Amino acid sequence: MLKNYLKLAWKVLLRRKFFTFISLFGIAFTLVVLTLVTALLDHVVAAYPPETQHARTVGIYFAELRGEHSRRNGLAGYALLDKYARNLPNVERMGVATMASGVFSYVNGQRLKSYLKRTDGTYWQILDFKFLEGGPYSDADVADHRMVAVINDATRQRFFGGQPALGRTIEADGQRFTVVGVVPDVPILRMVPFSDIWVPHTTAKSDSYTREYVGDFMGILLLADPGRIALTRDELWSRLRTVKPDDRAFERLSATPETMFDFLGRMFAAGGRGEGGGYGRRLELVLALAACLFMLLPAVNLINLNTSRIMERASEIGVRKAFGASSSTLVGQFVVENLVLTLSGAALGFLGAALLLQVINGSGLIPYAQLQLNHRIFGWGVVLAVVFGLLSGVYPAWRMSRLHPVLALKGVSR
Amino acid sequence: MPVLTADDVMTATPGREAPTMIALKGIEKVYRTDRIETVALSGIDLDVREGEFISIMGPSGCGKSTLLNVIGFLDVPSGGTVAIGGEKVASYQDRALARLRNREIGFVFQTFHLVADLSVTDNVEIPLLYRRMPGSERRKLAQAALERVGLGSRMHHFPSQLSGGQQQRVAIARAIVGRPRILLADEPTGNLDSQMGDEIMALLKDLQARDKTTVVMVTHDAHQAEQTERTVRLFDGRMVS
Repeated sequence: MLKNYLKLAWKVLLRRKFFTFISLFGIAFTLVVLTLVTALLDHVVAAYPPETQHARTVGIYFAELRGEHSRRNGLAGYALLDKYARNLPNVERMGVATMASGVFSYVNGQRLKSYLKRTDGTYWQILDFKFLEGGPYSDADVADHRMVAVINDATRQRFFGGQPALGRTIEADGQRFTVVGVVPDVPILRMVPFSDIWVPHTTAKSDSYTREYVGDFMGILLLADPGRIALTRDELWSRLRTVKPDDRAFERLSATPETMFDFLGRMFAAGGRGEGGGYGRRLELVLALAACLFMLLPAVNLINLNTSRIMERASEIGVRKAFGASSSTLVGQFVVENLVLTLSGAALGFLGAALLLQVINGSGLIPYAQLQLNHRIFGWGVVLAVVFGLLSGVYPAWRMSRLHPVLALKGVSR
Repeated sequence: MPVLTADDVMTATPGREAPTMIALKGIEKVYRTDRIETVALSGIDLDVREGEFISIMGPSGCGKSTLLNVIGFLDVPSGGTVAIGGEKVASYQDRALARLRNREIGFVFQTFHLVADLSVTDNVEIPLLYRRMPGSERRKLAQAALERVGLGSRMHHFPSQLSGGQQQRVAIARAIVGRPRILLADEPTGNLDSQMGDEIMALLKDLQARDKTTVVMVTHDAHQAEQTERTVRLFDGRMVS
């Protein structure tokens, strides 16, 4: 029976080519946009090298000082991480790193902009960079304030024409560093590992950062057991409750170890507020709602198109009912037909998305972007297409199945 | 020595009537809108016996097709009872009625109602799609039905490639493919010329005679009605004979 339905679905698609084109275009366009967004989100939060221990890694990305009338929040400060986040229960290692910030260098009279990140030595033990040359600097190098740097392949290309860079000097932000390692490029969307140049945080021009609770750093925690994150979180909260900020405008300090997805949820869904957790779940709901709303318009269009075809097929419906098709059987048939249409549109959408991702990767719009259609994104796309097919197919199928067979045989569709 | 079947006993015994297949008692059908009430059928009592060839005649709008639809469980009467094999179907839900139609009833329509996008074979297979049956067996039965109506060589054609008479033969093949006990034909020759009409009538009579299929046919044609065993006449929704 399924083969018969598929055969008929194909014939129905060919019957009204223009309507079919409109339907397929709407579905494909919707899928392209949703796939693109999914690919971008996947690129930001999913596990990609060098974050190979992603499942066990959380971060202290956000901190907030709060007083009766004052509030200051942002990335975590070094003082918060160094004084209160070390040796937390269930944490194997903790590394610290700043956000990558833009710096300028002058090479052969040309001004070059690069992104520079300041880290400790443990950072390199948590992230799994595959070095193209040399290796990372260590905690001892950091403690000794050594002016060393790790650079990425693109920086090697720009500064040294692609020649081996080990032992050579690089100038950035008015400071000179000796290159000790070269790593592959990391996409800019990967907040934790991304940079062009990495240097020890102790090489900063000023040590004022060491006294900041809210600053420019993030703590990267490698958990022994991700299932016991509550233990880690509760201990941090407990320690932070004892903090009396020097600035009397503030009364308490808060921060939470969380996944990158939770952090994004905190930023987008909670406006950056809150000591609590679970913002990832809120973000999931917001994204799911947004996806449904985005699909709603083309789905409604497709419902209209499908419903308008009832008249054409009233006779066929009457015949099928006369010969033994129950209402539920007919609903199944028409839903299958609509799924054929939406999955065909989805296939075109995936093709379009794959091409568009290649264009984005090659355009340099997102530095070092490696957006791709992996099995995870493909799976989500199929789920979206099936949801879309059901959304747009069930109502017309239900309408068609309820046609009285006698009226349907007369060609009456209401 | 040949073994007698029940059929042989019935036909061999003079005066013995065939058992009733479908019994209609006091059938009423009323169509109501906000302002108008139309009585399509009133007080219809009719027994359709096994193996009969019945014609239903009457002027346009007298309720012939409505009566056929009630007999075929396509429409639910407003009053009265319909029984098949002695069992009343009033309490049957949609799924049960669909199953009943699939197993017991074959329909032939005036305008053929073939699905244009499907081949002749796929059209004939439609009733079998709603039975648990492998595709190969469906195909075999469809082929046999087409050969029965003389269209074995047109299996891969599409309806648009056939004449009116051939299309109606395909519709008859579709109606008999599931070996229903009763065939309901609503003006099967209405869209055909007289020659094709005669061919279709011959086919229906053959089905009744050889396969013992009960045939109930709505017709305007008195000449065709004379070829049937019994004629039921309707006027303004009532039986007049």
